[in-house]
Amino acid sequence: MFNIWYFLLRGLQTSAPVAYGALAGVYSETGGIVNIAIEGMMLTGTFFFVWGAIAFKSWIMGVLFAILGAVLLSILHGIATITFKVNHVVSGTAINLLAMGLTRFMSMQIFGMETQTPVNSYIPPRLFGINILAYFYIALALLTIWIFRRTRFGLRLRSCGENPWGADSLGVNVYAYKYAGVILSGVLAGLAASSLYPNQWIAEMTAGRGYLSLAAMIFGNYNPLNAVLAAMLFGYAETLRYFSAQIPFLVNVPSTLIQSFPYVLALVVLAGFLGKTRPPKADGVIFEKGED
Amino acid sequence: MCPVAETKEAPLIELRGITKVFPGVVANDDISITLRKGEIHALVGENGAGKTTLMKILYGEYKPDKGEIRVKGQPVRITGPSVAISHGIGMVHQHFMLVPGLTVLENIILGSEPAKGGVLDTAEARKKIEAIMAANAMPVDLDVDVEKLPVGLQQRVEILKLLYRGAETLILDEPTAVLTPQETNELFKTLRALKEQGKGIIFISHKLDEVIEIADRITVVRRGRIVGELPVQEATKAKIAEMMVGKPVLMEIPVPEVNVGDEVLTLEDVTFVEDGVKKLDGITLTVRSGEIYGVAGVEGNGQEELLKVVSGEYRPTSGKVMFGKQAVNSLDPLRRRRLGLGHIPADRQKQGLFINMPLYINAVVGWQWQDRFSRRGILNYKNMRTTAKEVVEKYDVRTPSVEVPANALSGGNQQKFIVGREISFDPTLLVAAYPTRGVDIGATEFIYRQLLEEKSRGKAVLLVSADLDELLTLSDRIGVLYRGRIVKEFSREEVTPEKIGFYMLGGREE
Repeated sequence: MFNIWYFLLRGLQTSAPVAYGALAGVYSETGGIVNIAIEGMMLTGTFFFVWGAIAFKSWIMGVLFAILGAVLLSILHGIATITFKVNHVVSGTAINLLAMGLTRFMSMQIFGMETQTPVNSYIPPRLFGINILAYFYIALALLTIWIFRRTRFGLRLRSCGENPWGADSLGVNVYAYKYAGVILSGVLAGLAASSLYPNQWIAEMTAGRGYLSLAAMIFGNYNPLNAVLAAMLFGYAETLRYFSAQIPFLVNVPSTLIQSFPYVLALVVLAGFLGKTRPPKADGVIFEKGED
Repeated sequence: MCPVAETKEAPLIELRGITKVFPGVVANDDISITLRKGEIHALVGENGAGKTTLMKILYGEYKPDKGEIRVKGQPVRITGPSVAISHGIGMVHQHFMLVPGLTVLENIILGSEPAKGGVLDTAEARKKIEAIMAANAMPVDLDVDVEKLPVGLQQRVEILKLLYRGAETLILDEPTAVLTPQETNELFKTLRALKEQGKGIIFISHKLDEVIEIADRITVVRRGRIVGELPVQEATKAKIAEMMVGKPVLMEIPVPEVNVGDEVLTLEDVTFVEDGVKKLDGITLTVRSGEIYGVAGVEGNGQEELLKVVSGEYRPTSGKVMFGKQAVNSLDPLRRRRLGLGHIPADRQKQGLFINMPLYINAVVGWQWQDRFSRRGILNYKNMRTTAKEVVEKYDVRTPSVEVPANALSGGNQQKFIVGREISFDPTLLVAAYPTRGVDIGATEFIYRQLLEEKSRGKAVLLVSADLDELLTLSDRIGVLYRGRIVKEFSREEVTPEKIGFYMLGGREE
């Protein structure tokens, strides 16, 4: 029997990593740093979660470790793009590659296994059967809107993504705000990792969700709430495949078709909407002080 | 303008012996100037004379190599814009420093936000800004995206930013370059009001009429040095121009009488739609041989699209573009060049030149298909170099050789090079977009002469410009572009800047 409540909850859970990832993207790109490294940050976070949780026998330590791992990479991305003015996409790609190797290396060093860790039993508590972290991202999106619109920090972060030279001419410390945006992006990527599959780390387990996050962010036109809603569209599309056997009109559709549905959806959505989005004006632009 | 009363008070700003060296260039060489309270001090000079550099030093964006800055008699070290602001110094840059996507209010408070525990107190900010707007009669809607404002209001927002921060010294870098005559009048009213309140204003410009109208004192800078300072009462246009250039400048260029001939370019009811917006809306115009047709208008009213429809970069959505009697709607830019189109593009760095490539290549781009430059795909560098040398010599391009990349030239010389290239291939229709933008007086005069020369030789010239003086000097007829339409056409005899300005801002006939 198709249980609508169970479907809604599972969808909420499935959407969580992509939704947090999309918020991670929003923070970084609002400050003007293109962050395709979310995939790598998320992957590193998943390993750090399991490592921290097992080492300290605590899921909270797992979350903190996940954030730590992702933030370390985000700082690396910040140093490369902000301090050393490396092209944002190049740095992001390098970090994604680094994350794949780093997690395998650490897994080998710490657990003696390269492609997976032992099962971790210190996982976040469940509420109505799903990871408790899956209940917070919508509120976090609303909080983010409030931060962007109503706080000094938000105003300055936005100004750095739109026109860093303008912000600089008013005495705003552009470098600091850009770092803040990227580091917060790392924090969110850590939460994305913690809400993926806390029971075990498996090599490359993020499987492109970081990129899907960016798609959701763009689809949501860099607005936190819309980005999260876009992530949920993808998340629920993916959830459909677990339920396809129970939904009468989906029973006869080939399973490969249903599995590819979220990705096809992402493609269609981006192809249809990409032209109409308004990214921050100076997104991905290298900022150098004293330039015109 | 009455002279400023001598006071015992220390001047608002004193710059003493400022020197700034960039690799290879002395931008400022031992410059000293003062600014008193309630004074408008104009800083004039050609492009690259060092005016903007000096002001960026005062505003803390550059560090001087030598020299001292005093504010109200006290020596200060200005290490950044925020330090300058704290000393009451504010600057409106030539390219506005507004942040798109933020509202007017957010733009004004950015960097000095009233906040409680990090949360913005917009109510207080609004009160304060509204008081400033009322005191100076400079209203702006605070809640719209600053991007959506016309340029004149954007500039007003820039000035409000400074007043909000309590600036006593206002630096305005080429403030009128982007304004219509009406907007300029508005700005001058504001500046006079600020002067009344005892603010000091440094006004950078190379429009001499305006300087004489608004300034109390004029300092002329040439090649990083001060060549003279004079009160406005002693200033004449010819005198300042001579000081700026270092030799007498002929201010009035004689316009040759030419008999106009056949129609060379015709646009018939041309409409261009982009993203559902009519960028061009039923444009009909003709340019005949021996004639310069000027297009006036506030930027963003369809100039870019008009140029591209003529050059072949865009195809009109409807209507007809004709060269002579031939419809060219479906022809790409190269094919149109083959029919005799020359094009001095709006952005010389992006479209006019391959900025990192040597001059001998840049000398033939657009005509590289000619047999003398390439045969069966093999380039003939010898002929390219010969052509480049001809352009450089004939059009007075100052360059060490034709082997250097285009970006080794100053802006004015880049522009002379492009003008020379386009003319030397003898086009029947020459499209000139903003031909003297960012070019100094000497080079401007030279380019004007070239365009008039083309007219004398029976060519047709379509001139698009934001500089009304330029349009009035050169054009035989002027069409005013407003929201993608030619709303009014003037002949040389009947036109005045005020009339053009009226239609540029959307005015209608009674």
